[in-house]
Amino acid sequence: MKKTSSLLLVAGLIAGSTLIGCSSKPSDDELKQLEDLKAEVASLEREISAKESEKASLAKAIADKDAQIKKCQDDKRAAQSRLQGM
Amino acid sequence: MIKRTSLVAMLMMVVASGAVAQELSKEEWQKQVTEQTAKRNDLRNKLTAVQTEVDNLKKQDADKAAVLKNCQDELMAMVGGTEEQRKAYSDKMARVENWINELSRLSNQDLWARKGEIDEIQKLIDELKKDKLSAVPDNYNRVQNAQNRLDALKRTIAQLTESGQMGMTYTVGTWARDRDCLWNIAKKPRIYDNAFLWPKIWQGNRDQIKNPDIIHPGQKLKIPPKAPLTNEEKAAVRSYWQKKNAP
Repeated sequence: MKKTSSLLLVAGLIAGSTLIGCSSKPSDDELKQLEDLKAEVASLEREISAKESEKASLAKAIADKDAQIKKCQDDKRAAQSRLQGM
Repeated sequence: MIKRTSLVAMLMMVVASGAVAQELSKEEWQKQVTEQTAKRNDLRNKLTAVQTEVDNLKKQDADKAAVLKNCQDELMAMVGGTEEQRKAYSDKMARVENWINELSRLSNQDLWARKGEIDEIQKLIDELKKDKLSAVPDNYNRVQNAQNRLDALKRTIAQLTESGQMGMTYTVGTWARDRDCLWNIAKKPRIYDNAFLWPKIWQGNRDQIKNPDIIHPGQKLKIPPKAPLTNEEKAAVRSYWQKKNAP
């Protein structure tokens, strides 16, 4: 009796685990597809971050040039005035 | 027996359930794929937008660079001069600045000794001022700054001259009237105001004073700048006293 019970239990367990193993699971290709997607997302995030930095540098370069242009225009006016006085 | 078997069975179930938990179910996989795909699409759109902004900024930067160059070219056309002339102007300006820096670091005594160079620097500054390139504000400011610093050096020399500290001479009077000897001359407030500095006058006039006890009326003595006695002057004094006290 005891032996029968034990056998039943083991059989039940094996059956259960087999059932679980056979439940719907992604294939290796599908898992790779997910990993590739994640890698692409990470790569895009890095790319965007680099572009944001480039944007900030360009904005600074433009601001610097604006200041230089203003100075040059002021210099032109001052030079014109000094040349008239020479 | 049953209890032991049950325990083993439960343990197996726990291990099996753990293994199952580590694996992704199809539904979870699908959910993650959907999420990651949406995120990727958002990021792609965002990247396109940022790239467009970067391209626009690059264009703006290039446009500004062109405007700046145009402005600078116009400024240079206004004052004239070739590239070589501009370089020569800048070199001359640097020479003046370095020369002034050198003189500014000197002690009053050394500055006095090189005061003739002030006129040479002034001549160079005047040449720079006459050049049309000095109309460019950067050049103009540098020339003005050099002139201000040179004026400061001129003022220092003028003060040294007025205070009688440099280049001063003293004409020896008579003993009867002026009580002039090196000790008394050094003691005069307008000379050193310190009799103990008499060896300076002696050593500064070795060409005409052989014996410091003997000076003659009408002798024109150079008065070196006021300063503590040098080792040479101290040695001369020691030698003087040794000879004087020799039997």
